[in-house]
Amino acid sequence: MDFNLNEETVLMKDSAQRFLQKKCPSSLVRELIKDEVGYSKDIWKEMTELGWLGFIHKEKYGGFDGSFFDLFILFEQIGRVLLPSPFLCSTVLSGLIIDEAGNEKQKDEYLRPIIEGEKIFTTALLDENGRYDANDPKIEAAKTRDNAYVVNGTRLLVPYAHVADGIIVCANVKDSKAGGSTLFINERNADGQEKTPLDTMSVEKSFAVDFKNVKLPAESIVGAPGKGERYLSKILPKATILKCGEMLGGMERVVEMTVEYVKQRHQFDRPLGSLQVIQHYCADMATDLESARLITCQAASLLSENIPCEKEISMAKAWCNEAYRKATWTAQQVHGGMGFTEEYDLHLFYKHAKASELAFESSWFHRSKVADAMGI
Amino acid sequence: MKFTFTQEQEEFRKEVHDFLEGELRAGTFSTQSRGLVAPCSREFSLKMAERGWIGFSWPKEYWGKGRSYVDKMILNEELMKVQAPIGYHFLADRQVGPALIAFGSDWQRETFLPRIAAADEGIQFCLLFSEPNAGSDLSAVTTKAVKEGEAYIINGQKIWNSEAHTADLGWLLARTHFDQAIPKHRACSEFVVDMKTPGITVRPIINGAGEHSFNEVFFDNVRIEQRYLVGQENEGFKQIMAQMDYERTGMERLLQTYPIYNLLIEYVKKMSKEGESREFYCWARDQVAQLEIEHNIGRLLCYHTAWIIDQGKKPSSQAAMAKAFCTQHEQRVNDIATKIVGPVSQIREDAKWSPFPVDLATCYLWGPSYTLQGGSTEILKNIVALRGLGLPRS
Repeated sequence: MDFNLNEETVLMKDSAQRFLQKKCPSSLVRELIKDEVGYSKDIWKEMTELGWLGFIHKEKYGGFDGSFFDLFILFEQIGRVLLPSPFLCSTVLSGLIIDEAGNEKQKDEYLRPIIEGEKIFTTALLDENGRYDANDPKIEAAKTRDNAYVVNGTRLLVPYAHVADGIIVCANVKDSKAGGSTLFINERNADGQEKTPLDTMSVEKSFAVDFKNVKLPAESIVGAPGKGERYLSKILPKATILKCGEMLGGMERVVEMTVEYVKQRHQFDRPLGSLQVIQHYCADMATDLESARLITCQAASLLSENIPCEKEISMAKAWCNEAYRKATWTAQQVHGGMGFTEEYDLHLFYKHAKASELAFESSWFHRSKVADAMGI
Repeated sequence: MKFTFTQEQEEFRKEVHDFLEGELRAGTFSTQSRGLVAPCSREFSLKMAERGWIGFSWPKEYWGKGRSYVDKMILNEELMKVQAPIGYHFLADRQVGPALIAFGSDWQRETFLPRIAAADEGIQFCLLFSEPNAGSDLSAVTTKAVKEGEAYIINGQKIWNSEAHTADLGWLLARTHFDQAIPKHRACSEFVVDMKTPGITVRPIINGAGEHSFNEVFFDNVRIEQRYLVGQENEGFKQIMAQMDYERTGMERLLQTYPIYNLLIEYVKKMSKEGESREFYCWARDQVAQLEIEHNIGRLLCYHTAWIIDQGKKPSSQAAMAKAFCTQHEQRVNDIATKIVGPVSQIREDAKWSPFPVDLATCYLWGPSYTLQGGSTEILKNIVALRGLGLPRS
């Protein structure tokens, strides 16, 4: 057991924190949420230069073979400032999917430019009800006589679809021999993709994507047909824990903001923070935060060391879901009216907490996975 | 960060586990789930002493084994999972030892530490802190220790003293400064007192679970020689606050209900096969998964606290967090278990229809004590707020 971050991680963490604090003030987050593009191309370029996009990817594709745990710490820093960017959907999710399942040609053509920040990818994995359906996707890919596939269906809450050079979908191939859940890359120029922007709680730009007779060549399949869900099940846990890292960072800020506020805000001729009921709220938040840190770092650390940890990942997400949301509720209550203004930053975290809770599966789902792991 | 144990630690855990399995098989003790302090058995403590498991994390120069607090947490985790009968030495090992090492005189260390570590006869301790009017506000103690020559004369009353009826020695907090102008937390001192000293009366209090675990202790002109004063006169409160961090470090606050928890998991595993309704089974499954998450977090909070001590730092806020979190979890374990097991969970002890071999009803009845002893949840939250977050005093 060692609860210290190692020296390299501390250096990376500090420099990332400084960079993000300088480059991504909350005024920028507000601008980007309203902006059509939804992320800062300048910051994206700098993130590329800092090597963040290739952090955990293999050297042969332009990556740095970095530790997964350090990437997790980086996401924690991103969560502290709520930087909107396609980092998670492009580099991590799409990048790792291509790395896991793609062939060398696809890795050269897509993974390398993703790592170099030249191409942005995203994933479209939720059905029209917003459910993850990779096991039996409702979106269909019909095989044509000329060995191509025609994709039809709708995917919701697709991040950054408007700027994506490629969208990875998990479609149901209707083929008696090699059918079922299959990953496809939809390139930007494929005809028949209709993207509708969705106004959501997330800081990420989010879209509904209708695939109407999108014709894709057989080469756009990633990995083996029928195995889409299996590939995803290897990659999604990593993305889930990085999302937890982001949530942890957000929660840290919520607790910090609240503690600062109750120290300086005076009522009844004394600081709010001297009132025991407020102190206990803050102690509860701090305990939930410490709990979130331990259970999440545990999963990230085990993942980083390739030790099986499905249960730990689910414990972390289930806990972060509740703890982060609860922290924002308490923070709102303690801040009073001020916290419920557009001007104050708290609502950004309030939204982030809910959007994150709803992403990568619910607390109930993850508790169910924990029960599975317990043999119940 | 690293969340795995070293190979030596894993081997040590196995050694402890195997020893306990052997003892359980031999019928030396059976697993029960009741109050905080497990049953007393000097024979069992002697076996632990033989293995060097008492005073395990005390420095070697003080009759200890010099092992880390994380190692000690491993030892305690295994012991407490099966509720091994460690009551004879537990308090002295956890609290008295570290306090004497920190504040005691050479004579006190030489007199008590080797005997605690050896589980000698006559070395079981109890705490004599709380009073009828000094509970959460511990510095308000009014039991007097008046200096008279080379001794102190003690008069007053203590309460909630667990195992005072079996203990040989008491660890006493009493007021030694009577000037009202002095802040009360600078007016108390700590003493070791022989429970057989004339003038001490121990009166049982039956707790809400119907059992005799704690007591009232009356002091009527009890004479304590000066050499039994621990540390500095009038610094007792400060010393106790430092000891409390050790008191709150342990896994005894997480694992009081572990036997129940374990049985509950097995119970839920069988539910689906035994014709319980699907909805009820799904609900139970979800509840138990939540308990599992809490249990794991509680465990990490405990190991984190131990690790902080190993780093030579004060764990005040983390220890308070750990205890507050874990004891509330324990109460939920009992509650969820009764809800899942249903009406028969009320049937106590060994009846033909008792649901578990460990008495769930009694365990539930002990619940209120979890979040009171060793600092109520509210006091612990104050510590987190004031010492951890730096909020201003109320």
